[in-house]
Amino acid sequence: MNRYALFLGCTTPTQVIQYELSSRWVCKHLGIELVDIDDFVCCGINQINLSQEAGLMLAAMNLAHAEAKELDILTLCAACTGALAEAVESLKDQETRDRVNRKLQTIGLKYNGRTKVKHISRVLYEDVGIDRIKIKIKRDLSKFRVAPHYGCHYLKPESAFEGFDDPDNPKTLHQLISATGAFPVQYETLNLCCGGKSFPISKEPAFYLVQKKLDNIMGKKIDCMVVQCQTCYLMYSDQQKVINGRFKKQYNVPVLLYPQLLGIALGGDPINDLGLNSNTVSLNSLLAKGEINKQL
Amino acid sequence: MKQDNSQSEPIRISKLDPKFKSEVMKHKDAQGLNACFACGTCTAGCPVHEIFPEYDPRKLAKMVKLGMRKEVLSIPYIWYCVTCHNCEQRCPQNVKFFNILNVLKNMAAKEGYAPSPWVEQTQQIMQTGIVFPKDEELAKKRESFFLPVLKSDCKKAKKLIELAGLDKIKAKKQS
Ligand code: SF4
Ligand code: SF4
Repeated sequence: MNRYALFLGCTTPTQVIQYELSSRWVCKHLGIELVDIDDFVCCGINQINLSQEAGLMLAAMNLAHAEAKELDILTLCAACTGALAEAVESLKDQETRDRVNRKLQTIGLKYNGRTKVKHISRVLYEDVGIDRIKIKIKRDLSKFRVAPHYGCHYLKPESAFEGFDDPDNPKTLHQLISATGAFPVQYETLNLCCGGKSFPISKEPAFYLVQKKLDNIMGKKIDCMVVQCQTCYLMYSDQQKVINGRFKKQYNVPVLLYPQLLGIALGGDPINDLGLNSNTVSLNSLLAKGEINKQL
Repeated sequence: MKQDNSQSEPIRISKLDPKFKSEVMKHKDAQGLNACFACGTCTAGCPVHEIFPEYDPRKLAKMVKLGMRKEVLSIPYIWYCVTCHNCEQRCPQNVKFFNILNVLKNMAAKEGYAPSPWVEQTQQIMQTGIVFPKDEELAKKRESFFLPVLKSDCKKAKKLIELAGLDKIKAKKQS
């Protein structure tokens, strides 16, 4: 089945629109049909901090809406992926499901436990497949050295992901980057968190963690970093600029969302299809290296 | 790295709450707490501990077991967790510290320690269904990318938030 309910979450469709744009373009190009659901709300992940029950109910509401349309969910944000997949797991328990359904009933909904949740990268990996992606590549990105960043909730909690990839030694994003022709660079702080989830509470963890990773990858002669979550993107790209100003640093690491990298390789228009001109750290030198004739 | 001064206060038995541990462990996700043998693997892999040594998952688990209710619930650092799941991923005893922490945060929120950003996000969801406003500017921006109008069912979300009692949680007053 290559038809999914598109779960945009909160931040992508409001703050990192180029992620939505490039994801829609890549999916269309590779035959994945995305259905917009007008009833979706926040996945509930931050509400878990104050009330796990409220977080679970918001997630369940979204799962129920997708189920009513007989669709599985495709997510863009790693955190939405983790929150919704964890809810699917919790709601396998009959007692929990009954309790949640009693509340969902009051808003005319019911969740029967049938919805699956997959991140866009997982859909590309499992439904399209590395070999089929490779056949469609139009531009030569073999000069790009890319540092992958997975995002914690893409694979954790591990119990919610049915053995898809290994959170301690992940490989799928490396393979997806290879499929575009670019070279995925291995580095020591690969699994280090971006710090984005507590950024509204305190900026310090993210400022520290972002610098630790950027210091590591800058030493690896990379051309760009590739992320698969808008929060990770905001931390490494937008906050990279803030860190440069505040701590007098000179980081200059272009950051792309994975569908943007794939979209370049598939021959998409850098601006109209992929929104590369919206990225905070300029991608002009990257495009020049790939001999892509476009000024952003 | 900053100095860890958190050991300086003596523990007073008269101030301990013997029921605290069982109250925490009532929650399904926190039931593994008894299996913790204080190895410190969680602490060693915690990025927040790396920055703030006072924030220490192993020690928090111990404090819960001892019944240090007020101390645990009032620690500002519990809200700094970056939700990386390292602690539970690496625990040899399968203790879900991350989930225990969520139980603790939920209790702290009820007792008046909720940080205002999370309370404000909840209020925003009740209005727009997401944690951001949907204004004219956003509509124009999305239109310029030829993207559909952003919709969500905030009424149903609001109702669920009320049913869970989340609307009653007030933000901690700034001191
Ligand atoms: S890793 Fe597990 S067993 Fe070890 S101190 Fe942490 S919670 Fe306890
Ligand atoms: S999930 Fe939170 S407590 Fe656990 S290791 Fe990560 S930052 Fe530390």
